[in-house]
Amino acid sequence: MSRTRVAVALLVLALAVGLVAVSTPAIGQAPKSGGVLNIMQREDLPQGFSIHETATISTVWPAMPCLSNLVIFDPLKQQESMDTIIGELAEKWSWQDNYRNLVFFLRKNVTWHDGQPFTSKDVKYTFDMVREAPDATAKLRINPRKDWYANVEAIEAPDPHTVVFRLKRPQPSLLMMLASGYSPVYAAHVPVANYRTGCVGTGPFKVKEWKRGESVEYVKNTDYFIKGRPYLDGLRYLVIAERGTRFAALQSGRLDVAFPGEGTKTIAEQVTKAEPRIKVTIANQNVNDNLLLNATRPPFNDVRVRRAISLAIDRRAAVQAVHQGGAVVGAAMAPRPYGTWGLLEKDLNSLPGYGKPAEEKARARKLLAEAGFGPQNPLRIEMATRAIAIYLDFASFVINELKQVGVEATLKQIETAQWHPLATRKEYEAAPNLTGIGPDDPDANFYENYACGSPRNYTGYCSEEVMKLIDAQSQELDAKKRLALVWQIQKKLEEDAARPMIDWRLDYFMRWDHVKNLVPHQSIYNYGRMQEVWLDK
Amino acid sequence: MLTLFGMSVVIFLLLRLAPGNIVDILFATGGYVSEADKQAIMKELGLDRPIWRQYVDWLGEIFTGNLGKSYRYDLPAWEVIRPLVPVTVELAILSTIIAVLLGVPTGVVSAVRQDTALDYALRVFSLAGLSMPSFWLGMVIILALVAWAGWIPPVTYVSPTTDFKIHAVQFLLPALAVGYRSSALITRITRSAMLEVLREDYIRTAWAKGQRGQAVIWGHALKNAMLPVITVIGIEFAFLIGGLVVTETVFNLPGVARFLVQAILWRDYPVVQNLVMFIAIVVVLSNLAVDLLYGWLDPRVRYGD
Repeated sequence: MSRTRVAVALLVLALAVGLVAVSTPAIGQAPKSGGVLNIMQREDLPQGFSIHETATISTVWPAMPCLSNLVIFDPLKQQESMDTIIGELAEKWSWQDNYRNLVFFLRKNVTWHDGQPFTSKDVKYTFDMVREAPDATAKLRINPRKDWYANVEAIEAPDPHTVVFRLKRPQPSLLMMLASGYSPVYAAHVPVANYRTGCVGTGPFKVKEWKRGESVEYVKNTDYFIKGRPYLDGLRYLVIAERGTRFAALQSGRLDVAFPGEGTKTIAEQVTKAEPRIKVTIANQNVNDNLLLNATRPPFNDVRVRRAISLAIDRRAAVQAVHQGGAVVGAAMAPRPYGTWGLLEKDLNSLPGYGKPAEEKARARKLLAEAGFGPQNPLRIEMATRAIAIYLDFASFVINELKQVGVEATLKQIETAQWHPLATRKEYEAAPNLTGIGPDDPDANFYENYACGSPRNYTGYCSEEVMKLIDAQSQELDAKKRLALVWQIQKKLEEDAARPMIDWRLDYFMRWDHVKNLVPHQSIYNYGRMQEVWLDK
Repeated sequence: MLTLFGMSVVIFLLLRLAPGNIVDILFATGGYVSEADKQAIMKELGLDRPIWRQYVDWLGEIFTGNLGKSYRYDLPAWEVIRPLVPVTVELAILSTIIAVLLGVPTGVVSAVRQDTALDYALRVFSLAGLSMPSFWLGMVIILALVAWAGWIPPVTYVSPTTDFKIHAVQFLLPALAVGYRSSALITRITRSAMLEVLREDYIRTAWAKGQRGQAVIWGHALKNAMLPVITVIGIEFAFLIGGLVVTETVFNLPGVARFLVQAILWRDYPVVQNLVMFIAIVVVLSNLAVDLLYGWLDPRVRYGD
């Protein structure tokens, strides 16, 4: 080999190594142990550490470091999918009997924070409780995700280190739901109510102190089952209710890390301009703005009226007006490239609300006229929404859009205490709403928000055709066929204006540059474990 | 006692008139509602009992020194409330001291130099204090600090025994924001009371007898002008105990007022009822203290004759 060739080869090799180092900065540096991470927390923990009893990031984010799942999404990979699931309490797992049995082989020598051994009984106890099995030995006070496990027929613990989930029909998505931050394993020997005031987990950090309304402090779990982890000595979640103070604290270095979902485009631009050492990662929140139209009573039991409303709302204008560009358009599943199941651009453009605004609004007026509404007899509706700024901004935009097609909408602000009772009882006509979804998975989303009879199907939309499609995609083992079914469902939902999807919120997640290995995922609910995070200072 | 009894009825009823209860909030965090589960939790928390029974039980608990259990935290209400009280009391006292130190001299000087450039300047200064809400001023202080110094006080409470210097800084900034606003009111009351007193015959006599200006103003006039000022200070202090909501929120201090708002939003009846009763007691006691001060400042006012 000539000298020139050797030189070129070496140069190429050096460039390749350099590229790898640049694209994966954390890998390029050896992680350092020690230090305490100061983390933003926007409110005190609702329901303490009992993740199974809430559906809010305000609990999941600060409680995740205490607990462990059977499986979890790889904390270092932003995109979540079946391929990024790694074992946590389960060393490995295996689908058997054509995806009817999911067998987990558990790690040995795992102990709870109180020293008790972790066994398969804990897993059975937890998920029997969540799915409300007839022989469950405990009951959750509030159980928002029971429907996730509706397809589980039985959970067996044949030996201390093996657990079998027996399913009624194949359901590959079960693994996705088990990998969510919403699916930790509780200790069978600890009363479930105790998780509301403290935490006995198997996670990388132990709760040191929870000062109500102030902070949650963790110390490193030196008996953590992954050797060499966690890197940090501790975590400190600081409850700061005022948004201005929260970001002032981040900017001044009192905090190292922001709260998931709190960073808007505008705030991120301001903070990073003032302090360039704060880094921003743009990620999908897996939270969408949608419009609830009560399909159980007039006028929205008429699909023409629902579709007219959907047509009237310009999705791209919403992204600019409500989020100053800090959101993306999409249908029922998180849009690409953030999500795996989102519709392709060409399909999205053919849906109501995505065409040229003037033409879409003309179509809306025509549909309203067909339904008997026009200038002489305008559609008058009451728009109920939660009395919180992020809901109100969105509601104001929707009202303005509807005005342009002759719909007279009045805003009714609903206090938080009344919001979910009102939505669940369907005591509203129309309601701008926000929906957060745990993992980016069709089962987690469709069964919860669109299935007939689901308590969180607030609109009451119920279609036999859609239900069949939802069941079909759920048990489809061929990935391509399943994707096609999921697309079909999304198109149908938008055409029926089941729950018109307006946009998907982006998170401008902020952290100081000395915080390493904290990778925001495409869902705010799944990356709070913190065992890989380290401080470069 | 009668005032406190009346307060207890009002607090209890107003809380129940607000729509929803803790169970609705709990379900809100779960994003759904189940009527059957809701009834079970209502029973668990004792919310299924008749209203009058809940009231009687609460009164009974107060008299036995048991303040009940926080619905939200599942802890004794007193355990939740206890750490909040010193924070708010300290902030209120510090704010009042700043308000008095700033407000009284400013009011006196303004009255003595009536209609001069200094008087106008001081009146503008006090009017600005009245016009600027303390939370706004607090936020401006925070944002200015972070923008210019890249620094803000700690966002978690630091006790004086842990680090007195940090503790002092942590309390001084909110106390300045609140104290400035209160001082504005005190300035205006002091000024008008002083103007009135300075026109009295006995002051004219003091001047005529050739007494020193300082002795006349600070010794004779101010003492006699203090009655309305003391009343305002008492009212302001009592107001601060429950009225520091936004200042405590902006400076992230774990005090009574900030916690009270959270407890109201959560419909945590035992915590709210007892916190409001605590505030009511402080108001009653500060009024009593003001009344007693009247007797000390003005010998013409006599109690028990």
